[in-house]
Amino acid sequence: MGKPPVPEDLLPLTPPVFHILLALADGERHGYAIMQDVARQTGERLQLGPGTLYGCLKRMLAARLVEESGERPDPSLDDERRRYYRMTDLGREAARAEAQRLATAVHAARSRRILGRPEAAGGKA
Amino acid sequence: MPDSLMSFLCRLYGAMLYAYPRGFRMEYGALMQQAFRDRCRDAARKGPANIVRFTLHSAIDWISSVWRECSFTTFALQQVRAVWSAGRNQSPRGFVGEWAVTILLYLFCATTLVQAYVVPTGSMESTVRVGDHMLVDRLAFANSSHADRRLLPYHALERGDIVCFRYPEDIQQTYVKRVIGMPGDRIRMVNKQVIRNGKLLLEPYTRHIDPAVEPFRDNFPDGPAYSVLPLGREMLRDHMVNGEVVVPPDTFFAMGDNRDNSSDSRFWGFVPMANVVGKPLIIYWSFDAPTEDLENWSVDHVFDVALHFFTKTRWERTFLVPRSQKAREVPYTP
Repeated sequence: MGKPPVPEDLLPLTPPVFHILLALADGERHGYAIMQDVARQTGERLQLGPGTLYGCLKRMLAARLVEESGERPDPSLDDERRRYYRMTDLGREAARAEAQRLATAVHAARSRRILGRPEAAGGKA
Repeated sequence: MPDSLMSFLCRLYGAMLYAYPRGFRMEYGALMQQAFRDRCRDAARKGPANIVRFTLHSAIDWISSVWRECSFTTFALQQVRAVWSAGRNQSPRGFVGEWAVTILLYLFCATTLVQAYVVPTGSMESTVRVGDHMLVDRLAFANSSHADRRLLPYHALERGDIVCFRYPEDIQQTYVKRVIGMPGDRIRMVNKQVIRNGKLLLEPYTRHIDPAVEPFRDNFPDGPAYSVLPLGREMLRDHMVNGEVVVPPDTFFAMGDNRDNSSDSRFWGFVPMANVVGKPLIIYWSFDAPTEDLENWSVDHVFDVALHFFTKTRWERTFLVPRSQKAREVPYTP
């Protein structure tokens, strides 16, 4: 095999991929739990359907951003077995690099007064 | 949401998974169905408006992800082809050659294996309806003397089979009927009921729309034969034994299930085995349109289809398989 993959090569991540990685930051989750978490993160703006979710997971598995971590039932749903996914170290690096990229973009937008400062927006009227 | 709607949506989604490439479906199909069911249950808890939004959202997700997965597969195929043809000069002639092979394969499939037909008349109504578009398996009843008969699922024509064949009076037309008599069978009718070889047939598939009993049509072959065509007259002249028609070798006697309104072997005689086209495989689309529109596509018909595709399509007939059915034979006592 060639040189180890560099997270920066994968940037920019598409929104679904980035949010799936964020959903897996706290620990492993199964497909439906990822969908729910992504909806919560984005205030219901990004709703992943099954086709989009598993299409992304397929490519993320191939790029070694995530890995499968076995099958077991989720006690909060029913006793069906579900396949769980976990973020790899490369996945964490890629998510961090993407967040950094977005932060740089936000910083640039602030300096050009396109976006207000968070404290200024909520400050005195 | 009622459980029946939920299970219907889940079943529908299961069928829609067939649009994805096989490899993807094998790997993730079950997981996707599971996630779909979870979301469906969730949407159901939140009320009816959510179900509508959920359904729409799922449809969009399906279209976009099928598109993406399929173009990935196409991409992969192109890669395979690139590797395969590496080292050889890719000339315009090679490109034309590849397409020629594809077109030839398509033409072979379309003319030998299956063929699409539309049913324009109601003579098989109750089994096959006007406006049914179906695929016909052209090999099912193919001549069994071919060497490849062990490779493909052939079977001999039997009584009760539904069959497509070239209309003997005008071989330009294709008819679909049910096989009632095979060579050697003696056929007659009494009071709308078929008597074959002296046994009364109990036919679950027939339909009668006219309560009146007509002499020739319902007591075949007894009575004045007014509307009989030349080949039918030939049959009545040459193949009548004791008031019954006897089916000659290498032919069969065919009738429509809509007995009172069917132009069939009673009126135009036996069908030669050589006229058999095939066996209806599946109805892939059934559209409620009048006979003349189905025979000749007009601009009006195209508009009709475009405007009323959803309301005039008979969804309950989509993917229906017209089945062969055996009639039960009981002793006949006049």
